[in-house]
Formats: sequence, C-alpha cells, structure tokens
Amino acid sequence: MKYILTAAAVFCAVGLVHAQDFQANLSTARSAYGSGNLEEARFAMQQMLNDIDVLVGKELLKSLPAKFDALSANTANDNVTANTGLAGVLVHRDYGSGDKTASLEIMSNSPLIASINAILSIPFIGNSGDGSQKVIKVQGYKSVLQRTQDSENNKTSYTLQIPLNSTLITINGDDCSEADITRWANSLPLSQIAKMVQ
Amino acid sequence: MKRTFMLMTLGLMGFATSTFGQGLVGKLKQKAEQAAERALEKKADEQIGGGNANQGGDSNTSGSNSSGRPVNKGGAGLITTPPDVKQNLTDADAAFKSANYGEARYAVQQAMLGVELEIGNKVLASLPESVSGLPKDASQDQVTSTGWGWAGLTIQRVYYNNDKEIKITIGNNSVWMSAVNMYLANGGYAQQTGGEQNWKQIKVKGHRAVIEYDDSSGYKLSLPLGQSSIIVWEGINFANEQEMLAAVNTFDIDGIKKMLGEQ
Repeated sequence: MKYILTAAAVFCAVGLVHAQDFQANLSTARSAYGSGNLEEARFAMQQMLNDIDVLVGKELLKSLPAKFDALSANTANDNVTANTGLAGVLVHRDYGSGDKTASLEIMSNSPLIASINAILSIPFIGNSGDGSQKVIKVQGYKSVLQRTQDSENNKTSYTLQIPLNSTLITINGDDCSEADITRWANSLPLSQIAKMVQ
Repeated sequence: MKRTFMLMTLGLMGFATSTFGQGLVGKLKQKAEQAAERALEKKADEQIGGGNANQGGDSNTSGSNSSGRPVNKGGAGLITTPPDVKQNLTDADAAFKSANYGEARYAVQQAMLGVELEIGNKVLASLPESVSGLPKDASQDQVTSTGWGWAGLTIQRVYYNNDKEIKITIGNNSVWMSAVNMYLANGGYAQQTGGEQNWKQIKVKGHRAVIEYDDSSGYKLSLPLGQSSIIVWEGINFANEQEMLAAVNTFDIDGIKKMLGEQ
C-alpha cells in the first residue's frame, strides 16, 4: 500500500513537471512566432508534442492492469518514450518472471498500423491454414493473433496485435495459452486507451 | 511472418492487376466508342454537305462523354488555407488544460504545419528566378509539410527550357538525411567502374556534397545542411559536371541554411 501511494505521488509529480514544461514551451512558441522567429517557434512546438506524449504515456500506464492473472507487473521496468520523430509515444510494461512472462506495448502513430490493417482486411491472409495466425475480436476490435512453438522445449508463445486507429497495442506471452492471452487483452480498457491516444 | 508477408504481397498484386485490367479495358472500350461516333458524324456531314467544327475533336468538348454523363470542364479548385498558428496554439492550451490530450496534440501539430509552411514559403521566395538561363516554372513550385518526423518539410522548384531542366528539392527535419551523412562520414569512400566514376564527394561553397551521374537521369547533387536538412539538385541534359556545378553555385546555400535554422 505504501509502495502504491509512493508510486502515485511520483507519477503526479512527474505529471506536474511536464504540465509546467508544456506551458513554458507554449509561451516560448507564442513569443517566437510573434517576433518572426519561425524556427524557434517550431522547436518549441516540438517540445510541446514531447510534453503531451509523456503525459499521455503516464496516463496510459495508470490505466493498465497491475496483474495478468498470477503474473504481477514489474513496475520498475515501466517505460514511456516520447516522440522519437517516427512514432508518437511508446509505452512498455512487463509482467511475471522466470519462464512465464508477458509484455505489453502501446505505440501511437505506429508505422506498422498499415500492414496490420491490411492483414485484417484480407481474410485469407489474416487466417493461416495451420492455425499459427488468425484474426480474432477483442472487445469488438479486430486483432491479429500469432502462435509460435519452441521446438526445443515445446513451449507455446503468443503475440496479439490490436490496432486502434493509428495506435498499435502488442501483447506478448511466453509459455501461455490462447485463452490466457485473450483474457489478458480483455482486461485492458481498450476504448479508454483509444480515446487517450487519438 | 515471412510467409504472411509474401502471401499479402501476392494478394495485393493480384487485386491491383485485376483492378488495373478492368480499368484499362473500360478505357479502351470508351475510346473505341468515341472513334465510332466520330466516324458516323463525319459520314452524316458528308451526306448533308456541311462541315462540323468539332470534327476529329475530343467528344468531351461538347460537355458530355459518349454515355451522355457530364464531364468536368473546370473549376476554381480548392482555396489554400494554411492553419492559423495563433488560433491553434490557443486551442492547444485550452485542450491541454482540460486534459484533452488528443485534441491538444492535434492542435499543436496543426500549428507546426502552419509554421513549416511559412518557413517553406520564405525559403521558396529566396530562390533565384532563373538559373543558367533556365527560367523557373512557377506552376511547379511546391511546399509540403508532413509534420515532425519522416519527410518533414520539403520545398521544390523547377527551372527548365526546352529539354534542359534543373530541379531543386530542399528537405528539412528529414529522416532520409542519415543515408547521405553515412556516405559523407567515411571520407575515403569512392566508386569507380571501368575507369568511370559515377559517384563522388565534392565541395560546394565549402559544404560537403555528393554528385552522381546516370545516363538515363542525368546529374544529381546531394548536399546535407546542418543536422536535419538536405538540398538535392537534379539536372537533366547538362553537358558536363562543370555546367551542373555552375548552376548549383547560383544558389545562396548559406542563406537557405540560416532560414532553416541550421548551424
């Protein structure tokens, strides 16, 4: 309980800092633009985008489940990377330890979105004959589920990719079943995430 | 995943081929109908003994095609409305304060787009009106902004006369900068095939650049500027390397660098 309260306090402090950064960068953008310093104005706006992405990333982390069944979140590994210039915000959380682990990544403005949506729109591509890839629905969203088998230890792993507009959610599960990963995906507040990253 | 990608590619190629095939057949059919109509009109006129001013002309000039459907003959196009930077900053502030981060992000991106278009137009206005006797083609002047990342801001102008042309493209905040910088970082890299060199490093007004030549496309000179900008000149039907370099030296490269905010 003490740990949760401390983590929440840290999140709030970080959020406050980025909100102040946003206001400072907004002020710089306005004055630079007003004085005709267009390059300075543009740079300040890029920083504003960074600030927004970091805040969105932190909000997303708060909304993610603390557990996937018996697998607890390793919050020390929680990561938010903002605005690399190619994608928007990238949020990472992993669960469990040892042989049974899972990871969750949310990438806004993902460059993979187009290819995933193409797979979803062509049924004979989305569903493979051997069952290693298929299209399923998670909370009404079409998603691509892929299965891989480790030939050495015969363990099965799954990857579930859920496109939400221009954001891609990817869940990886090692040594799990299709029912496991589907249940984990169903524990995510997908419509809430979709609103936050639009 | 590899299998999936191959299947997807084949599927999309098949779909595209089918669509293209249907479109091509449709166009051929339309052309055949138009030719038949013109032949019939000519025969009818010969019978009547009069002339037809539209003989041999495209049936579209009558305002409808062979199936009687209207054909667009013109319009005012779209009004250019660059984003209002100040209004978008105000919208971003309001959206941020109400924790509507999606809207705040959109408003900031629109403001950035507006600023980039202004920067681009400023650079375009500073480019020469003519280069090596080739006048600019104002109808091909272009400023595009795709926002932060990927291609960023691009500015383009074309100069041409008869069959000689030089095109300048300026990229800013461009991801493809890294490809050119990779060549220039290794000072010893050179290429020579059969005694001919089609790619080499040079200096233009003190800036490192790469010049290439290809028989089918002519000369191409790429000059990285600062950390995230690049200028590319493409010359068609220039007699030799010196003529191409003389054209490139017409441009105020330091001035462009300053306007883009590069150091």
